[in-house]
Amino acid sequence: MSLIQLLRVTKEYRLGRTTVHALRGIDLSFERGEFAALWGPSGSGKSSLLNLVGLVDVPTSGRVILDGRDTAGLDDGERAGLRNRQIGIVFQSFNLISVLTALENVMLPLTLAGTSSATARHAALLRLGQVGLEGQAHQRPDQLSGGQRQRVAIARALVTDPLVVIADEPTANLDAATGHQIIELMRSLNRSQSVTFVFSTHDPRLLDAVDRLIRISDGRIVDAKEAAA
Amino acid sequence: MISLTIALRSVWKNRRRSLATLLSIAVGFTAINLFSGYIQDTYTGLRRTAIHYEGLGHVTLAKPGFFERGGVNPAKYIISRDELQRLRRLIEAQPEVQLTTPLLGVSGLVSNGKISTIFIADGEEPESSARLRALPGEDRIWQQDSLDPRRSSSGLVSTGLAALLGVEAGGSATLLSTTLEGQTNALDLDVLGTWDTGNSATNDKLLRLPLDYVQRLLDTEGASRLVVLLHPEASADAFRARLAPLLKEAGIEAEMRTWEELSVFYRQVKNLFDLIFLFLFTIVFIVVLMGIVNTLTMSVMERVREIGTLRAIGMRRTGILRLFALEGGVLGLLGCAAGVAFTFAIGSIINGSGLAYTPPSSSSPVPLTVAILPVQMLVLMGLLSFVSMLAACIPARRAAQLEIVDALGHV
Repeated sequence: MSLIQLLRVTKEYRLGRTTVHALRGIDLSFERGEFAALWGPSGSGKSSLLNLVGLVDVPTSGRVILDGRDTAGLDDGERAGLRNRQIGIVFQSFNLISVLTALENVMLPLTLAGTSSATARHAALLRLGQVGLEGQAHQRPDQLSGGQRQRVAIARALVTDPLVVIADEPTANLDAATGHQIIELMRSLNRSQSVTFVFSTHDPRLLDAVDRLIRISDGRIVDAKEAAA
Repeated sequence: MISLTIALRSVWKNRRRSLATLLSIAVGFTAINLFSGYIQDTYTGLRRTAIHYEGLGHVTLAKPGFFERGGVNPAKYIISRDELQRLRRLIEAQPEVQLTTPLLGVSGLVSNGKISTIFIADGEEPESSARLRALPGEDRIWQQDSLDPRRSSSGLVSTGLAALLGVEAGGSATLLSTTLEGQTNALDLDVLGTWDTGNSATNDKLLRLPLDYVQRLLDTEGASRLVVLLHPEASADAFRARLAPLLKEAGIEAEMRTWEELSVFYRQVKNLFDLIFLFLFTIVFIVVLMGIVNTLTMSVMERVREIGTLRAIGMRRTGILRLFALEGGVLGLLGCAAGVAFTFAIGSIINGSGLAYTPPSSSSPVPLTVAILPVQMLVLMGLLSFVSMLAACIPARRAAQLEIVDALGHV
């Protein structure tokens, strides 16, 4: 059974009097341990698709099945619980909480889940070590570089041992070298810990690193094939 | 805990804006406390005045109907000497009672031989009356001049009346009234001294006379009222409730009034001050509410992406509400804490300044003081902090209702 299944998923937005068809009947699945990229131009529907996979949005029609569970009938609290425990999210603009230290940011999902402070701290320090930031644990986001902030965001996404980490253009706000390092980091975590990564990008230099490339255009999948890593 | 950390640090991060809100809360809190302290101090002063200075004691007993119609037909409501003795024995046996003292009211004309004017007086038992008028915890008599038990034809004249008649200590006057049987009667009075009643409405009418002098003037051996002074910690209402069945059991018919019921002036002042306090409190309440709503609305608008992020990583809508409610609560609590410091500082300055003022209907200045009320401050602190939390829920509710994708896409 696939880890994530999208069945005939559509997503429409109202923009004034116009209806924007962001996704038009997507059928797609992701397996455990995949390192998959959504590729396409701006406005093609990559972010809409990731939002549905990450349960931060609901489809207009169709079904999103996560680990065998249909997410259609879940209420807001249940969706929040699933996002907290089973999904890690990495944002384009890092989205760290500015008043918390790197360590506190990484601890946050565990704290929200009700994990004890000591356990959350231990797990967060471990994840910060894995992304090479053990020395910056007590620094605030504004004291970190862009690359370091995105590493903190990755550590935060991983801290609950989620089923999948989704990343919406994780390198878009980074320079080429740092962006490459971030993809390498995600790739190594995928290989060493079998973490499933699904991310979107339109940076052609990053496409060589992925197992699977899903091309999307105008809300439709135009090509989904295995890539040579 | 993490919500509190975020709330505290967000308040600190926006410290300039937070400071403005804190100050408005602190000023409002201080205004309420100082005014409240002032009126409490006034109530305490008025209470002492009523109980001791006016000689109302805590509870006054009279024959049923006296308080409504006693002035029209005093003879009907006279407590006889024997009844008075029984009553005093019964009441003085109660543990909360300090003393009892009988009064006999009289009114008529007072003359210096050339001019006459009306007077009102109560005949008092000099010894027990002097003890009634002594302040709690003080040995000295409230009045510098008290009635002299050895001189049964001498009395005290209010300063306004003394000025009107042109008499002073050592002088004399003649009192004219009617006996309980309706006969005209007149007695000479030696002026023992003068005193200020503290009330411009009575300072040109009142006399203080010995009980047996008034008994001779009215041709009776009884009294019209019996005043009961309790120990300071005792409650007048509780004592009255406890005494009523004892009186019934003893077969004594009596009506009782507490000092608060008898002191019209106290009730009027209290009602007025309570209304002003309510007005002031309402204004402060609205200012605090608007301040918090304004500050946190700005905070919510600036942190839409943060709210989206928190929701995306699993915080529920209630968590967002709690986060901003805590922020409001922190602002309220810190504002009140600053207000406590302001209250102590300004209160001490006022109390140490020696300022005095003449209240309406008072015949002499009284010191301007404010009571510092720690328990009330704590209650107010809790209330305003809670109000701040509630006020924060207005913008927080909007924040919690945001769609995550909209919040994340907010610039």
